[in-house]
Amino acid sequence: MLVARNLRKSFGEVQATDDVTVAFGRDPGEMVFVVGPNGAGKTTLVNLLTGRLAPDAGQVLLVDDADVEWDALEGDGSDATRPWDAGAERDITDLTPERRVHAGVVRSFQVVKLFEEMTARENLRTAVLSERGLLSSATGLRDGYPEVEAAVEDLLERFRLGDRADDVAEELPHGDRKLLDVAMSFALDPEYLLLDEPTSGVSTGETELVIETIADVSREEGVTTITIEHDMDIVSGYADRVVALHQGRVHGRGPPEMLETDDELRRLLLGVET
Amino acid sequence: MVALENVAIHTLNGVQYGFVLFLIASGLTIILGILDVLNLAHGELFALGAYVTSSLVGALVGAAFTPDSGLGFLLVVLAGSALAAAVLVPVGLFLEAVLLRPIYERDEVYQLVLTFALLLVIKDAIKYVWGPKPVRLEGVYSGINALATVSIAGRTFPTYKLLIIVVGAAVTVGLFYFFERTKTGRIVRATAIDREMATAIGVDVDRTFTLVFAMGAFFAGFAGAMALPPTQAHLEMGADPLVLSFVVIVIGGLGSLRGAFVGALLVGVLTRWATWLYPAMELAAPFAIMAVVLLVKPEGLFGSWGERA
Amino acid sequence: MSDDRRLPGVVDRDGERRVRVMAGLELSRGRAALALLGVALLFAVPDLTPLLPGVKLLVVHQGLLFGFAAVGLNLLLRHTRLVSFGHAAFFGAGAYATAVLATHYEVAGLFTLLATALVAAAVVATVVGYLSLRHTGLYFALLTLAFGQLLFAIAQGQQFLGGSDGLSVRPGPGRGGAPTILGQVFAPEVYELLVYYLTVVVVLVGLLVMYRLANSPIGNALDAIGQDRTRAQFIGIPTRRYVWAAFVISGVYGGIAGGLYGVAVKHVRPEATLHFLRSGEILFMAILGGFQTLLGPLIGGVVFFFLKIGGRNFTDYFDALTGVVLLLVVFGFPRGIVGSLGGDRSVRARAAAVRSDPTVVLEWAVAGVGRLGGALRTAARNVRSVFGGT
Repeated sequence: MLVARNLRKSFGEVQATDDVTVAFGRDPGEMVFVVGPNGAGKTTLVNLLTGRLAPDAGQVLLVDDADVEWDALEGDGSDATRPWDAGAERDITDLTPERRVHAGVVRSFQVVKLFEEMTARENLRTAVLSERGLLSSATGLRDGYPEVEAAVEDLLERFRLGDRADDVAEELPHGDRKLLDVAMSFALDPEYLLLDEPTSGVSTGETELVIETIADVSREEGVTTITIEHDMDIVSGYADRVVALHQGRVHGRGPPEMLETDDELRRLLLGVET
Repeated sequence: MVALENVAIHTLNGVQYGFVLFLIASGLTIILGILDVLNLAHGELFALGAYVTSSLVGALVGAAFTPDSGLGFLLVVLAGSALAAAVLVPVGLFLEAVLLRPIYERDEVYQLVLTFALLLVIKDAIKYVWGPKPVRLEGVYSGINALATVSIAGRTFPTYKLLIIVVGAAVTVGLFYFFERTKTGRIVRATAIDREMATAIGVDVDRTFTLVFAMGAFFAGFAGAMALPPTQAHLEMGADPLVLSFVVIVIGGLGSLRGAFVGALLVGVLTRWATWLYPAMELAAPFAIMAVVLLVKPEGLFGSWGERA
Repeated sequence: MSDDRRLPGVVDRDGERRVRVMAGLELSRGRAALALLGVALLFAVPDLTPLLPGVKLLVVHQGLLFGFAAVGLNLLLRHTRLVSFGHAAFFGAGAYATAVLATHYEVAGLFTLLATALVAAAVVATVVGYLSLRHTGLYFALLTLAFGQLLFAIAQGQQFLGGSDGLSVRPGPGRGGAPTILGQVFAPEVYELLVYYLTVVVVLVGLLVMYRLANSPIGNALDAIGQDRTRAQFIGIPTRRYVWAAFVISGVYGGIAGGLYGVAVKHVRPEATLHFLRSGEILFMAILGGFQTLLGPLIGGVVFFFLKIGGRNFTDYFDALTGVVLLLVVFGFPRGIVGSLGGDRSVRARAAAVRSDPTVVLEWAVAGVGRLGGALRTAARNVRSVFGGT
């Protein structure tokens, strides 16, 4: 599991993340959605988990223990205990983002970040080379590894980018850019994939394609996805579990049905008065 | 023997030097912080200010004042310096509006190369107007020696250096007042943070940028004018102020006026102490401070980083 | 795969015959001929210079050396998109290493001097890189310039380094006033030739190495870092370490060039090797030649030195001349000489248009004048808006 334990982060006066304890990946391959109104601290949480931000307090842990008493950990979050074997825990709080990537924690960005002057294929090749530890070679040729090229072709096909493989990233349509961004993340062979609004800015017609592709590949590979999402139809349709944040705190966690049953949450998310 | 009056005198020398550095660095840091332009020609604007002053003060002294009339002389120098700096304003306007503006959107290497080209052109323009030989100023500025010295802690201290401290302090207060308290100053700062937002609320960004650049040029020229006497004006005089401004900016933090102020005084005082106690360290002292700051606080004393780099 | 993947020679690629230089580098026949011509020209320079009035071998030699430093600088500029404004520091470190060794330690062997130059530059680059590379963009440029100028100040201030007069690279008496090559003393004319040929060899090898580096996975990583550093980090690239390595390699190119400069010119001055104007010139060479190309910086270096020598002959205002050329490049030919000539589709299209109808040149001239007028009007409007508002 990827565990946030009592994480705190403030920006000046604003407490963006206020003592958040939450575990992702109870079951390998689960799709967790993080919801909450604007300013709830969703992106900050992702930034803390992936090492883009350093927390003021708290830890980010990787826990390798199948028999965890979840309720003991996530009870109210404030005085979280450690319901797992001490030996099963790896503290990654101080790891750099790149070390976390190699530890299996990978992310995408809300505003797509690509190597804009490279083609789709070159973008993916860079990621695959990085995953295989080949990027440090000064003597090889960047396109000279048949197994890497094969992996790139496979990714292009699975993310339906084959036709656009040799287009420069900055010239790709928005939906394809999102897909390429996610494909690069998958190329890194993640255990945990954090996606910051993968459907934002994608046209309605393409939304389904993007999220469906993500769901397909992550189930096939057993990748736990942690997705920030505003579209509640998508959350209801795909979530195995939902974590709701409000004002930097965990408001609630549970199955997607809670979006229907928790009136307070509905009011926060949708502005629906009850 | 480190006597107390020596400490006082060298510190005062350092403060004076620090204010000169702040005058130079403030222009550079304003342009860097607001326009996102590293103006490599800044040192040449400093030199230009010095050369123009030498001519202006020379003319004024010859026409209106005898060089040894004390206070009157100081006023002439001040007036000459302000005039010289004012000459730099149209130069700044021209450089920003005509040359820099077309390349904001392009790779930053072009911006650097462009200001480097300006450095070369301005340097040769000075050479064309004033000649390749240093302009000696003992005659023009002989009034300085006629000024009474001030007695501080039992030691004498030149009045002109005291004037630089006073003027420097006044400029500092004025700059902070402008950026912290006036509406225009706040608009300029807001423009630096978000150009689109500024445009949306009706700020003419182009015009703001041009004026900020002109302002930076003004302070470069003013620094050159004030720092000039009693030395000579020479063609290479732009390099050191440019590099020392860099050092000051690194110490203070990118684009921070407060940082530039603290950095300038720090470099000024520590350099003068080093010159006094370990003369061999004079050149290296500012860089040593810079290296320590880079190691301990890479973002500078007053810089801030939201994210891990 | 067949053997032709390893050996140099002519290979067949999709029915086109290509000349294979090494793995990853195959040229079309036209390009190969051009490359061969270039190499031949480099080796023929000592035979050609006596025919050209006013051109000395040492001028071309220095152009090649500074151009080689610019090739090194271009590793950072082209791939990681970092603008170093302090590359004279590495050039100077290499040059001073040869001078210090020759003057103070009586070291005469040319290759020992050069090896020391390489090491000295690597050490300086390691330290300067460590301190500068926490920053990017303008801040990085500013820091490299400041550190470069620190070295200049040190060289000028230290008696050990000869102050502003510098040091000569003439180890001990009885050695013909020049370093020895493999223990042999040579007459000055022969020595000059030998060092020049050595430079040509070093430059050619350095270019091949740079080509290979650019096309290696590391080159790929550096490209990624240059295009989006955050993304590079989040696909697992330890960005700072990679850029640091690139910075040191880049500095080593400068150091080798500086070392060769030391043994070729045989006198090293702070003004000529370390001043930040030299850093600016090295950057200028890369831009002038075309920083998006491998060969551009080298060609920029040679052209710059011809400009320098030619310019000196008819004007005292050589700096301004350089500045104006620089402005022309920035506004008119941002891709530089090589970038504009080779591979640029618009240039090829224009060449084809001229072939089919030469009068099209007139149209372009008119259009060009129109654009210039437009640019001037815009500039005037900008200036007016400052005084009167829009």
